[in-house]
Amino acid sequence: MEEIVRAEGLRKTFTLSKKQQRIERTGETRRIAVDGLSFSAYRGEIYGLLGPNGAGKTTTLRMLATLIRPDSGDAVLMGHSIVKEPDRVRDIIGFMTSELKLEGFFTPDYLFDFFGMMHGMDKDKLAARKRDLFARFGIDKYAEVPVKSLSTGMLQKVSLVISIVHDPEIIIFDEPTNGLDVLTAKVVTDFLVELKGMGKSILLSTHIFSLVEKLCDRVGVIIDGKLVQEGTLVEVSKGDLETSFFELYHRIKGEIV
Amino acid sequence: MKLLALIKKEFHRFFHDPRLIVTMLLPGIVIFLLYSALGEIIYTEESRDLKVYLSGESNVVAMIEGMIEQNGDKVEWLPLESEETARAAILDGEATAILTFTENFDSFGENASVGIVYDNGSTDGSYFYSLVSSVLIGVGMRFPIRVQTVREDTEVARNFMQSALPFIVICFIFAAGMSVTLESVAGEKERGTLATILVTSAKRRDIALGKIVPLSCISMLGATSSFLGIALSIPKLMGMSFGVFGGYSGWSYLLLFAAILSVVPLIVSVISTVSTLSRSVKEASAYTSGLMILVMVISLVSSFVPSMGNWVFLIPVLNAVVAMQGVLAGGLLVWQTLAAVGINLVCTAGLVFLMTKLLSSERIMFGK
Ligand SMILES: Nc1ncnc2c1ncn2[C@@H]1O[C@H](COP(=O)(O)OP(=O)(O)OP(=O)(O)O)[C@@H](O)[C@H]1O
Ligand SMILES: [Mg+2]
Repeated sequence: MEEIVRAEGLRKTFTLSKKQQRIERTGETRRIAVDGLSFSAYRGEIYGLLGPNGAGKTTTLRMLATLIRPDSGDAVLMGHSIVKEPDRVRDIIGFMTSELKLEGFFTPDYLFDFFGMMHGMDKDKLAARKRDLFARFGIDKYAEVPVKSLSTGMLQKVSLVISIVHDPEIIIFDEPTNGLDVLTAKVVTDFLVELKGMGKSILLSTHIFSLVEKLCDRVGVIIDGKLVQEGTLVEVSKGDLETSFFELYHRIKGEIV
Repeated sequence: MKLLALIKKEFHRFFHDPRLIVTMLLPGIVIFLLYSALGEIIYTEESRDLKVYLSGESNVVAMIEGMIEQNGDKVEWLPLESEETARAAILDGEATAILTFTENFDSFGENASVGIVYDNGSTDGSYFYSLVSSVLIGVGMRFPIRVQTVREDTEVARNFMQSALPFIVICFIFAAGMSVTLESVAGEKERGTLATILVTSAKRRDIALGKIVPLSCISMLGATSSFLGIALSIPKLMGMSFGVFGGYSGWSYLLLFAAILSVVPLIVSVISTVSTLSRSVKEASAYTSGLMILVMVISLVSSFVPSMGNWVFLIPVLNAVVAMQGVLAGGLLVWQTLAAVGINLVCTAGLVFLMTKLLSSERIMFGK
């Protein structure tokens, strides 16, 4: 098994603004979002980071996607460090999250070309890839429709396709099905299965047990910014993922919220 | 390559949206229509009766008279007997000006020069003065014009062209810059579309330039429209039949244009930088409105403070205002204008650098 992502001792703290302190009714000024996180993901597999709200999943994925820098620790993606070579990392990953949006004014066709160029792709390869992906995901009919006029499902497909315009080896996906209706959620999970079929490696975060059970080969359970358990789906779930998660949570926090 | 794609995207966004184009060009058109209409109302009825004391002789006098009559006004030439009584008459509003030509003026005699004394507090006086100077410059006579006014300069607003125009130009550049830049930079940040570009391997500097370069061009377009609106309507507003810029040489044009050209990217990069710092369009527009008021006050003040010394050319934006004023007043401030352009460009480069740093800062781009 080829190790494709290795995170070692990732740590990230945030300074809480006055406003945040008020909203969360806390006097603390610093928050440890991720606390010395280490894990490994392997080529061709779907790795799921499972954890409750505020566990630090999004923060971890944002560090891997080089949007934010770890305070300490590092992660190596296909031999490239997120700290030392963020530009290289950006070209080998596709990052998908609801915080990244497409400008509604432009068409899928225009945006595909634009983001292809942002990743430094050459024109011929880009055109071939566009034909292939647009046909495969049924976008060709909507290629000239401004993104703001697309249905939610189609918009989701377009965003997914554009985030892999540069044919990345690693796909990082924060909360793939959050806030989506069942149909759009199926678009996304089918897409992930398809990507895995193409031999891509996928890293996703979620708090939904069924999603992990359906998609993931390996699971890392994250609580309070720390990785508390890691293994194959079978190893972690021990028959029932939900039951074993709550047992684990109880052992660590001594309480069930 | 990436920079080119970023620039193209910005132009594509603008030129494929009729709404944006209209908002950019509308101010110029509105100003033109409004000012022209205003000019019609003010000047159709009334015609001027000018009384000018004349000393010395020149063919130029006939030209001036022709111009005045062409404008539908009349002029009566009075012999100049005593300068003192003439000045008193001007101050009392009984006469318009004193015009003096040195001996052998038309044969380019030694020390040939023109003298003009007028009441800078009266519209007739200013009208006569700008008419004479345009005729002189227009026929290519490079004689020194000795200008005297019967009131202190600070007592009344100086000639509109020299003082107010540069100020208005700056305001239009600011307004045009704001109308595209806030939406494009702060808007993209707020909507999360800038983040989508930040996860690609595009250089942060290219992303900054990919905003500032095209937005400067677009703002230039908007500012030009407003500028033309004024330039074409001022003659009507002032009751003159010739264009405002008719009387200036090619060099003056070039200097004016250079001064304006250097201010546009500077102002656009200021607004872009502020937009990058802000969380929302609303916040960015509050900050830039504050900045605009500051710039307006500074350039307005500079319009009424005569001769501030060369140090003002070191201050970005203000330097261009002063340079434009100087050029419009008939001087060719080549070095000062070039210095102003240079300093503005250096400041722009500094702001591009700063914006690049801000785009790389996770606290600015992804902080909560
Ligand atoms: N930019 C930030 N500034 C301050 N605090 C932050 C910031 N980002 C995250 N946090 C805090 O860090 C902690 C971890 O947040 P994170 O978003 O990584 O959790 P998560 O596991 O993704 O949770 P969720 O399931 O709610 O998405 C939370 O307490 C959050 O409030
Ligand atoms: Mg999250």
